Amino acid sequence: MNPRASIWLKTVYARTWVRTKSIYGEPLWVAVNVGFPFFTSLALSLLYSSAGLKSGIGFAFLGGVMVSFWGNVLWSMASQFNWDKQQGLFELYITSPAPISAILIGMSLGGILGTAPSAVTLAIIGWVFFAPPANPLWPLVAVTFALTLASLYAMGMALSSLYLVYGREADSVNEALHEPVSFLSGVYFPASLAFPAALQAIALVIPLAVGMDALQRTLFSLNANGVADLSLVYRDILLLAIMGTTLLFAASKALKILEEKGRRAGTIAVRLR
Amino acid sequence: MSYVRSLIASIRVGWARDFGWTNPILGFSLKTIAPIASTMTALTILYIGFRNGVSITPEKFPYQLGFIIIGATLYAHISAYSWVPTLAIAEGKWTFVFPQVYVSTRSSPPYLAGRCLASFASSTVTSIASLAVAVVISLLLFGVTIPLVVTPLSVVLFGFALVVNIFASMGLGFLLGAYAVFASKFEWALPTYVSGILMVFSEALFPVTSLPHPFSDIGNVLPFTEFIRASRAVLLDGSVGSYFYYLGLSFVGGIILLVLGLLAFKYSERRARRLGVLDRKVV
Amino acid sequence: MSLRDAKSTVEVENLRREFKGKDGNVLALDGVDLRVREGEVFGVLGPNGAGKTSMIRILSTLLMPSSGSARVMGWDVATQPEKVRPLISTASGAERAGYDYITARGNLWFFSQLYGLPSKLAHERINEFSEMLGLTDYLDKKFYTLSTGYRQRVTVVRAFINDPKVVFLDEPTIGLDVMTAMKIREFLTMQAKESGRTILLATHNMAEVDAICNRVGIIDKGKILACDTPMALKRSLGAPALVMEMTPPPDPASLEPLGKVDGVKGFTSSIDEERGVARIQVVVDSDESAQGAIDFARKSGMNLISNWRQQSTLEEVFVALVGRGFREREHESAS
Repeated sequence: MNPRASIWLKTVYARTWVRTKSIYGEPLWVAVNVGFPFFTSLALSLLYSSAGLKSGIGFAFLGGVMVSFWGNVLWSMASQFNWDKQQGLFELYITSPAPISAILIGMSLGGILGTAPSAVTLAIIGWVFFAPPANPLWPLVAVTFALTLASLYAMGMALSSLYLVYGREADSVNEALHEPVSFLSGVYFPASLAFPAALQAIALVIPLAVGMDALQRTLFSLNANGVADLSLVYRDILLLAIMGTTLLFAASKALKILEEKGRRAGTIAVRLR
Repeated sequence: MSYVRSLIASIRVGWARDFGWTNPILGFSLKTIAPIASTMTALTILYIGFRNGVSITPEKFPYQLGFIIIGATLYAHISAYSWVPTLAIAEGKWTFVFPQVYVSTRSSPPYLAGRCLASFASSTVTSIASLAVAVVISLLLFGVTIPLVVTPLSVVLFGFALVVNIFASMGLGFLLGAYAVFASKFEWALPTYVSGILMVFSEALFPVTSLPHPFSDIGNVLPFTEFIRASRAVLLDGSVGSYFYYLGLSFVGGIILLVLGLLAFKYSERRARRLGVLDRKVV
Repeated sequence: MSLRDAKSTVEVENLRREFKGKDGNVLALDGVDLRVREGEVFGVLGPNGAGKTSMIRILSTLLMPSSGSARVMGWDVATQPEKVRPLISTASGAERAGYDYITARGNLWFFSQLYGLPSKLAHERINEFSEMLGLTDYLDKKFYTLSTGYRQRVTVVRAFINDPKVVFLDEPTIGLDVMTAMKIREFLTMQAKESGRTILLATHNMAEVDAICNRVGIIDKGKILACDTPMALKRSLGAPALVMEMTPPPDPASLEPLGKVDGVKGFTSSIDEERGVARIQVVVDSDESAQGAIDFARKSGMNLISNWRQQSTLEEVFVALVGRGFREREHESAS
């Protein structure tokens, strides 16, 4: 095999392994990661019930599942390089022949696999104990879920380059992004039923918003007649594919540019001691 | 006097840490944006219920929005500063500040109390700001005016309620800190669980009476529930009598929680010292 | 083949690096020229802020030079970093880089994959190098459970696992206990001798340089002041240094004229508080100069309780070059 391709693949595998081993090596992580999303989903489903809309329970628990991944993207993808820089790991990546893109892909795959147990646990709890009314189109659910995750993690890769520059404020930026993006994306509710058209259009630049719309339609239809509007689902699928590809490309380019800038300014190895 | 000196120094350090931004406006905005967004999520769910469900009438809807706005912003306020002791301990173990504080003359309680109070101050400012902004966004998004009672009296009484709630939140902070003193990993796990439990049981988003018995009883004994009820009584109902009733319950519950929290924390520190984990770095 | 005949693996010509600071530009490297040969352990010795780390960072492709050139194994570090990186590795004493929830072995395997090593080969090297560094019993422990010394051993193993031609080490034994530091030094010496690796070691630990370096470059304020074997550098001072002990310790101001005595190249002083004795180490160029220094002390009314001659140290070489000791020089940089 081509040596460059071999290093790329080995790096992806190794970075995925590190991330999943960290999670699966400490089973308590699953219980820890399930806690807050579960209570949030529970509180919001009780809110739906008290608002007279029991069918909203499904949105609450779907939101909990997706927020697990969104949180992972923010805290373990976007911020990761900044934390790696603090530990002295980032400079080891730069001085190795491994491409940064391989490290990012490995982080993403590891993040998805590492978050999956808590997300699946939450989904099972919601499905079994709260029995939300649902009308799933499973093949489309699978496609939209996969594309949503891909776009979300591609966004995480793009954000990681920004965080390299504004690293010291990363935690605050995460806190600032987490809830507003969740709100604008309609993570816990169907934005198409709540937001004016202009706000919905603006929100469509966020991969999470597009993904949530597609998932809500394919799982819960959103229409009074119980039949999903497939034209909108296909629109969302196309948008997710375009976004994911664009963000991947943007991330790769941005990190190359930032590495070059970092080498010139001398900031690659700067860290708090 | 040295307790007071230690407390004041800790407040200053906590304030600098929370609000020591080179751009204070940016820092303030970043801290306000999250509570606003989470409040708006709850409001939007209510709006969807109003539009598509059957149990909310047009006359009740503005009041319900006000119910959630007050509950959600105060929940965020309580969550923000009740887990500062955990943060201070975990961060303090990482930077070796906590062991240094522990061996000082007045040890850790004034330090943690001071950090808590500093965060109370910053969280109060951001919570009030996010409450105001949420009211404005509701008007723009839903076309609904929230019927808040904003008079000099209601504002003063609300401020007084915020101060009374310090006892309960600090007590909770010390209880959580008692765990953090031992923990070498996942020290933030317990606070997130407690935050989640509070979201359900503190009447932040819906009346706890809608929960089945005995879960509704859990909500009724929490001082945080009484604090939020007192705030609604004065800001939404304009009922001073109810306000003092709920505030009294919140005060009593808060004192009990504070005493329990301090006892648990002291016990935890003694035990941690015996086990030698006071300066064990968190991972 | 002797080191003298070996080819150059690191070539630096007129290397300059400037940093933009709030109070104006800082010149970290000011026209450095250097050639390091294959199989050599080359020490870069200087106080904090001398430019050692900046040079290591440029050579390891983390930092661009402002001007001048630097080549590793014939490849330009500024324009061809992708050619350089497969051939080098780097380790710093300031780093304890590793993933806390993964074992030491897992961490080492992970880093081996960044260089495309087959897993079987990676584990063979991990076992071999860990055995040499006494790390074997700790390989399967999670990284966060390891003490500082063992984490640093892991760091050193990591630096050699990809079979690099050139290794850049920045204060690899800083903060370590004597036994761990010794083990690491033995390991480095063996790697250079038996595998023909070039090791560039940036340090301000003179004992370390004395112990393992074939040659040393003394750097201060971004310039290489001298470059030769440790023995040759010490011999370049001529006469062995003079050590004088006095009690009570004299006023520092009264010592200043000692630097102007004929043949005195510089001096350092320290005080033994317990004994109430000052020890003055004087770098001299001849026996006559040494006598001159003793006469100065006596004429100035200092109570000289003993004096003797001793083998020069690298710090004395530095003092001779710069006129100040490491401690005083770092003090100057800080203020």
